[in-house]
Formats: sequence, C-alpha cells, structure tokens
Amino acid sequence: MNSMIFKKKTPLLVFLIPAFLFMTLFLYYPFVMNVYNSFSNITGLGTAAQGLNQPWYQNYVQLFQDPIMATAVKNTLLLMVLTIIFQVGIALILALLIDNIKKGTQFFRTVYFFPIVISATALGLLFNLIFLYDGGMVNQLLMKFGATEAIDWKDETHYFFTMLFPVMWQYVGFYFVILVTGLNNISPDIYEAAEIDGAGGFKRVRYITLPLLHNVLCTCLTLAITGALKVFDLPWVMMGAGMPMDMSWLTGTYMYNQTFTMGDVDYGSTIAIVIVVLGVVISQLASRIFKEKEY
Amino acid sequence: MKKAIAFVLAMALCGAMFGCQSAPAASTQAPSSQADSSQAASSAESKPVEITVVTSYGGDDGNRANYEAAYKAYEKATGNTVKDASGTSNEEWKSKIMADFETGAEPDVLFYFNGVDSNKLVQGGKVVSIDEIREKYPDYASNMKDELLGASPVDGKNYSVPVNGYWEGLFVNKKVLKDCGVEVPGKDYTWDQFLKDCEAIKAKGYTPIACSLQEVPHYWFEFCVFNHDTVDTHTKLPTSSTDEAGKAWTAGLNDIKTLYEKGYFPKNTTTATDAETFQLMADNKAAFAIDGSWKIGWFQQNAKNIDDFTVTYVPAANQRKTTDIIGGLSMGYYITKKAWDDPAKQKACVDFVKAMTTDEVVSTFGATAVTALKNGTKAPDNADSLVKAALSMAAGATGIAPATQDGLNQTARTALFADIKNIVTGKTTAEKAIDKCLAIKG
Repeated sequence: MNSMIFKKKTPLLVFLIPAFLFMTLFLYYPFVMNVYNSFSNITGLGTAAQGLNQPWYQNYVQLFQDPIMATAVKNTLLLMVLTIIFQVGIALILALLIDNIKKGTQFFRTVYFFPIVISATALGLLFNLIFLYDGGMVNQLLMKFGATEAIDWKDETHYFFTMLFPVMWQYVGFYFVILVTGLNNISPDIYEAAEIDGAGGFKRVRYITLPLLHNVLCTCLTLAITGALKVFDLPWVMMGAGMPMDMSWLTGTYMYNQTFTMGDVDYGSTIAIVIVVLGVVISQLASRIFKEKEY
Repeated sequence: MKKAIAFVLAMALCGAMFGCQSAPAASTQAPSSQADSSQAASSAESKPVEITVVTSYGGDDGNRANYEAAYKAYEKATGNTVKDASGTSNEEWKSKIMADFETGAEPDVLFYFNGVDSNKLVQGGKVVSIDEIREKYPDYASNMKDELLGASPVDGKNYSVPVNGYWEGLFVNKKVLKDCGVEVPGKDYTWDQFLKDCEAIKAKGYTPIACSLQEVPHYWFEFCVFNHDTVDTHTKLPTSSTDEAGKAWTAGLNDIKTLYEKGYFPKNTTTATDAETFQLMADNKAAFAIDGSWKIGWFQQNAKNIDDFTVTYVPAANQRKTTDIIGGLSMGYYITKKAWDDPAKQKACVDFVKAMTTDEVVSTFGATAVTALKNGTKAPDNADSLVKAALSMAAGATGIAPATQDGLNQTARTALFADIKNIVTGKTTAEKAIDKCLAIKG
C-alpha cells in the first residue's frame, strides 16, 4: 500500500506544495527580510529603508551595549527556569494528586484547564485589577486584615512576582492535562504488583510513575521552555513599557516596543533575530537534555 | 445521541450568528460595488460612493458621538457611505497610518496631525494641498482663516482643514481643594503658590497631582519647560542641553523632579497607568491634573458631579504669564492623492470635509475657543460648568504656543518621555536625557 503511494508522486506534491508556498511566503521570506532590515536604516514603521546603517552592523553593536536588552534576556531566561519549576512542577503535583482520587477527576481537569481558553489580554486586565494599587482586590484584602498601607505590586520589589504569577497560573492547566493523560496510560497492573510487594505511595511515584512518565515530562519541559521564550501578551498588558524603571522587559515586549512604539524598526528586527537564535539554541539544548527514552 | 444533539445545536447557534451578520454585511458591501461601477461611468459624481475615513475620533474619544452624528448627517444628505476606520490617537495609530500609506492602503480622507508627523505625507505627495483643491472647488474651507489652518513644516502650504483647536490646562478638583482650604487657582496663580498649595493638600492626605510619570508625563513636561521660556521661544527645539532652549528643557525637567521628590505625584507614579492616576481625580483623591481639551469628555463621563471640577491656567514662573497656554490647531482633514485622482470619489471627499468643518459642526466639537473659523465657535446650548470654564480659560488666554514636543520625531519623543522616570529617580540627569533624545535622528 505504502509503495503505491510513493510511486505516484503527484498527490504528494499537490498537498505539499501549497503548504510549502504558504510557509515560504509568510515565514521564510519575512524572516530573510527581517535579517536584511536589521542592517538597514528604517526610521518608522511602514516607511521604506533609507539604505544600510553606517556601519551596517551598527544595531548588533548597540545590542551588546544596551542595558535594557541585557535585562530583557536575563528576565526571559529567568522566566524560562521558573516556568519549568512552577508551571510543569505544579502541574505534575496536581496531576499526581488527581490520579489518586476516584471521583471528580473530570471536574478538576476542566477547572485547571479553564484559564487556557481565556485570552491573555483579558487575563492581563483581570490581574491588573487584582493587583491595582488603589482599590485593587489584593490590597483591599490586606487592608481588611490590618495592613496600614497599600502595596504597589508593580514596584521594584514586587514586579517580578506580579508578572510571573498570572503567566504561571494560565499555563499550569495545559501541562496538567498532558500529564494526566500520560498518567492514565500507565497500566494499573503495575501499581497493583507494586502494592503487593509492599510499595507505599511515595515509592510508587518515585519508582513507577515518574520513570514511566519520563517521555511525557520531556515533552512538557520542551513545550514550557519554548513557550517561555514567546511569552508576550500577558506581560505587555500588565507591565506595559518595562515598568517599573525598565526592569520587567522581556525579549518579546522589548522588540515590540522598539518596533511599534519607538518606531526603531531596524533595531526591533535585530532583537527579533536574537529571539530566533535564543529559541533555536535553547530548544535544541532542551531536546538533547530531555531526550525521550524508548521502552 | 446527546453528543449529536449538542453538536447540531452548536452548529445551529453558529449558523444563526453568521446568518444575522450576513444581511448588514451585504448592505455595507453594496455601496462599494456601486463605487467600483461608478468609477467606470462618465457620470460618476452623481452616484453614491463609499469613502474610507480615518480619524482620531475612535474608541473613547470625547468627541466620538459628535463625529458620528456629523458623518451620519453627511451620509443622509449625500447618499454616500462612510467606511469609518477611526482609532485612538497614539504612536501605534500614527505608525499604522504611515504603514497604510506606504503599502497603498491609505484612506480617502484622513484626520491627522499637521506638524512634523505629516512631513512624510507631504514629501511623498500623498495628500493634496488646499490650493490645488480650490482650483476646482473654490469654496473649499472658505469659512476658515487660511493663516490658522496649520501649514505644513515642509513647504509652508496648507494641506489640512482643522476642526477644533486644542488647549492644555489645569484640571482642578474643587471638592478636594475646599477640604484642604485651598483657593481655586486664578489668572495670577504662581508656581510658588502652587508648591505651597500642594504641600497643604499633601498634608491633608490627598494626592496633589494626578499624573503617571511612567506613561503620560507629556503635559507636565510641556508646562514645566514653558515656565522657563516664552510664547515666542517655546517651540524652538534645542540642539543640545546647553543652548538656551536646552537650558529651558533642563530646568523644566528638574522642576518635575522637584515635584516628585516632594511627594506631590501619586506614590505609584512610576508604575501606574494614566487611567489609574486620572481615576484619583474622579474619586476625589487628587487635586490637580494637566491635560488637553479632549479630556473634558472623560470628566463628563466619569465625574460623579461635574460641578466639582473646573479647568484653569497652569501656574506660571519666570517670563511666562499664567494666562499663556499651550494650544493650537494641530490636526485637520486631509484628502489623499489617491482619492483626489479617483473621479468617483473626488467630489464625495470634498463634500465630506466641507460637511465636517461647517461652523455648526465645528461648534459641537468640544469646548475650545481655539479655532480657525472666521466666525468663531458658538458655545453649546447645554454647556456644563466645566465646558463654560474651559471656554472662559481659552478666551482669556494672553498667548498660545504650540507644544514643543511636537517638533521631535516619534523615536526621540518616546525616548525622552521614557527617561523622565529615570530623571526623577536620579538614574540619569535631565541633560543626559535631552542629549540622548536629540541624538536620535528621524
């Protein structure tokens, strides 16, 4: 049957070429143009390039001298590490807990997955109200419990938590559902055998669940790492232009700000290349470190 | 079976939603197709057409309702259709418009800035001059004073027809002032008195100034700089922080720093949004805010009692008189070259601009005595106390200077305002921030 398909190449091409053309037109061509733009002098969004920069690598020099770019890369990498710990970690704990209950599994699946279906912009506005300085929900609660002064949740002490918490909260459910599905694929016979051998709850998790969940966990970790590199909308809605004091920039938000707010399109293109390079390198590293095992 | 029923019901719901939308969609498409056909016909002018209009009267603009009423009246009178693609005026909106022109997707009529922001449109021949329009339509903008239309910085020619001018003034929460025992500022209000009043207001537990230095420090920058120059010199851009204009900018920025250090801004001024800080005014928690004529609509919508608010002159220092204000006619209606060259749309666009800039329509657009109308504007019949105060303030102005920041290109302007939080917190100096912004070429 397979040999029949490969003998007739035309159907293959009919299905492959449109997708290839689409990718070329909307992904590879813009990417090549983006590389070219990073060497050009473009003074505003929508305006044509006024030749090459002098020197042509000017933006790349600026990139290494720009303290905000360093902050953005540092924050993005930190967000990535914390994503692994909190998003996948909490999702794993929740999945293990749910796996041990008999009733209500479907209910908890729906509850934890629900934030994913809400748009990040709406969530950003929601959390803005929750963390609002004057009359926000958290500050009102603190006042009820005796706090004398409202906390500025976006100040230099609290900003990272305020930015991180909604991002973590939104995606825990996503990894939770993947992990629960992975847990369901583990045969109950193995657990029964372990129980007969006298293995307790912790040992069952340590020696049966986690090893058998290895491949699913690897998928989750790779998704979490690449996802963290692309986080943009929630931090942009909540922290705007790097507040406080240019401390909360991520590579995505900084690139957007340079391109659309500042109108420095060529520098924005240069930052976009950094994002691509970071994405490719880190995802390659992640896929090697979290290599899937064959059982 | 249940799943099948649920699926059928979901599909029916989707179908109903699309079904409901299809009728108006078809009706809005009709004029477009008519426009296409009329383009080919020789009697193009008599057929109704659809024109695309972009203005800054989008979203929550205080004049949105007035704009809608005016263009709907035009539609009714001419049979033409207006495809309104208005947005909120900010840097993204400006960028989008420039991108539309660059890609050939420009509107037929554009309500846009007439300062350096429009230079690329004029230089690229993307908009038509009023002189050229008057060769065919002699009465175009004939109700306006030509010298006030807002000539292009590129060639000194008029391209746009303004509606209402703008002013910037000090919005005051009278209720807060009364509670603090502070008089409502008048025509001779000085900067020193303002500082004393702020101290009294702060001592009473209120926020003296509602302003987000993170997001919108523009207005305080403008007046603080104005306090160190004059109506004649205000628009002169510095070449460095050490020339005369540069010294005025430095002193102005340092005045903002002083206000910050004295604790007159909201505690979270470097992390708050403009909306958050202005809410303090509506909630009777803050006393003063500087903003423009367009903010009146916000007060009308958000104030519990509009009579608790007034608008007056910003406190003055040095050579500037208190009654010297920032204002002008910074925006107007342009007809694009693309629409002008389209025989089907040319007259429709001219009629549209004429309809939107009649004495009657202009008078409905906010309380401002800053106008290019030969006959001046009429106060609305139902003017509230804030509108009356605004008209009185603008009418009593001894000098009007345009905003100096409008002379900067987008990148430089954004960079300067992004640095204000760094200046007030001591992370950079005013001189460094000015020189950095001036080094950015447009």
